[in-house]
Amino acid sequence: MSQVLEQKTVEETKVFKQSQLSLKKYLSKFGTLLALFLLFVFFSLSSEKFLTVDNLMNIVNQASINALLSLGMLLAILTAGIDLSVGSMLALSSMLMAVVTVNIGMHPILGIITSLGVGGLFGLVNGLLLTKLHLPHPFISTMGTQFIGRGLALIVTGAAPIAGLPLLIQFFGTAEIGPIPFSFLLVLVVYIFMHIFLSNTKTGRHIYAVGGNKEAARLSGINVDRVLITVYTISGLMAGLAGIIMSGRVNSAFPLAGLQYETDAIAAVIIGGASFFGGVGTVWGTAIGVMIIAVLRNGLNLLNMSADLQMAVIGAVIIGAVYVDVLRQRKRKKNKN
Amino acid sequence: MRKKFKLLCVILATSLMFLSACNNNGTETTNGSKSKNKSEVDISIVLKTLSSPYWKYVEAGAKDAGKKLGVHVTVVGPPSESEVMQQVNMIEDQLSQSPDGLAIAPIQADTVVSTLNGKDLPMLTIDTDSDFKGKLTYIGSDNHSAGKTAAELLIKKLNKGDKVAMINGALGNPAMDERAKGAKETFEKSGIEVVAEQPADSDKAKAMSVMENILQSHSDIKAVYAGNDDMAIGALRAIKAAGLDIMVVGTDGTEEAVKSIIEGGLYGTIAQKPFDMGYLAVENLLNAINGEEIEPRIDSGLDIVTSENAEEFLEFLKSME
Repeated sequence: MSQVLEQKTVEETKVFKQSQLSLKKYLSKFGTLLALFLLFVFFSLSSEKFLTVDNLMNIVNQASINALLSLGMLLAILTAGIDLSVGSMLALSSMLMAVVTVNIGMHPILGIITSLGVGGLFGLVNGLLLTKLHLPHPFISTMGTQFIGRGLALIVTGAAPIAGLPLLIQFFGTAEIGPIPFSFLLVLVVYIFMHIFLSNTKTGRHIYAVGGNKEAARLSGINVDRVLITVYTISGLMAGLAGIIMSGRVNSAFPLAGLQYETDAIAAVIIGGASFFGGVGTVWGTAIGVMIIAVLRNGLNLLNMSADLQMAVIGAVIIGAVYVDVLRQRKRKKNKN
Repeated sequence: MRKKFKLLCVILATSLMFLSACNNNGTETTNGSKSKNKSEVDISIVLKTLSSPYWKYVEAGAKDAGKKLGVHVTVVGPPSESEVMQQVNMIEDQLSQSPDGLAIAPIQADTVVSTLNGKDLPMLTIDTDSDFKGKLTYIGSDNHSAGKTAAELLIKKLNKGDKVAMINGALGNPAMDERAKGAKETFEKSGIEVVAEQPADSDKAKAMSVMENILQSHSDIKAVYAGNDDMAIGALRAIKAAGLDIMVVGTDGTEEAVKSIIEGGLYGTIAQKPFDMGYLAVENLLNAINGEEIEPRIDSGLDIVTSENAEEFLEFLKSME
């Protein structure tokens, strides 16, 4: 009888612990959503133009490029890596797309294929450098390709921008369906696909496994090299797609496009709850991270805060977000112990 | 978990809707008060950046005009002259606040076109021109003739066959490219040899290392033309460190450059009139808002600053602060 009672109390405390745990999990999972909401409240109260349809559409339009780059960055960070070359890949692929369509005068669909192809190929090279040359960390290899990509983008036309893109490409950046920018819908579709890819396919699960523990993943029969190559190729593809949207939006391709965009992408992924240690992070978390940065930029612009101060604010937000990540890591270790 | 998430979403969404309803009321009342208080004209100005002295002078001119003409002037700009997309975003964000007039200094002429095309408000460009529907005028000095004037200033002190170097702005920056072109053409016409021509992205530190590299292989140059004053001062530092005596002419007429001229550092600078540009932008926008015709091209002029007039020019700069 007493044994049964003891067992019961043990079970009860277990249940209690679990519910406590889930509350913590709950907060850490939706904390960023709450932060986004608070930003909305703050800017709505401080600028009457913030919560208007026009401005909200501005925000999602402005966010679309970083949204795509962040998705590639998320994959890299999930494998405990990083892709510093996203901005350069964007510039190179959009420049070559403009050369193909404007300078050579080929069909815009060929231009779009060029942009995606160049991005994908460049990403593939990133993956191969990492896995076949055994460079120690993607920080090194993608920093190298960052410079190579930027250099090539400048060389293509001797640094001159190319304007006057075909209508089809402009469509990607400027079309609106009702009040909603086409680019936003495109990004939404890509996000849904990526979510399904990460959570419902074997490769998707392998990406998490590689990030969680590379050696364990290798021992359990996962082809780690192939997973890494896939990840960096997808990141390149995303940069190519972002390049199409960006040059469509401003009707020109320019070699300094996407300069330092990797920082915004890294920030969005980390704010979105992914861990630099790999294996942790979600597509929707990243979406919220992207929105937080876009809302911050837009809102601070509406308040006419100087760009210099904006940089400082965004820097502080990044440090805050990474600190939360560190705290989470500590908790995880404690829980394990 | 799922339920909780859904609940959270619903709560957030409803409170947002509530907030937007409140906000709409707010907009109406402020709109109402705006129409009563018609004297307050809103003018937005988006510059290439606000992080260098040149653009600070443009800002000062615009603000001064705002004060004198009784106009509310907002001046914004990205943190550096390479942030093309951020500038486009800033223009969109200014437009969504429905100003009465907009002046813009595009980082790249083409990138702002689709955002500004046919927008229903008086718009003009300053410093760098761009072709979009609805643009009233372009206010600026001619970059090509700035380069030309700088080269002519140096040529007076040079002999045929002398070697010079040029330090340019970021590759693909049209305004800087024009200056470089104007200077190079003028040098070559007078039989002066341009032995080195390198970009230093309008940056002082970069210009210093670029100059160090140039001096490695061409220590026999007689003069340097730099596309802006920051680069001129960077180049001068490298020259002084190497113990050489080479004439350096910059462009823009910043306070630091003018002081350097007084101290015997730089040989001269070609000053655009950034303050006038900012002032003219606000003045002309206000005229347009009041329904007056304005000229399709307004020249803001150039000043040549050398040791002869540097003191005078410095006083003028100080008076702007």
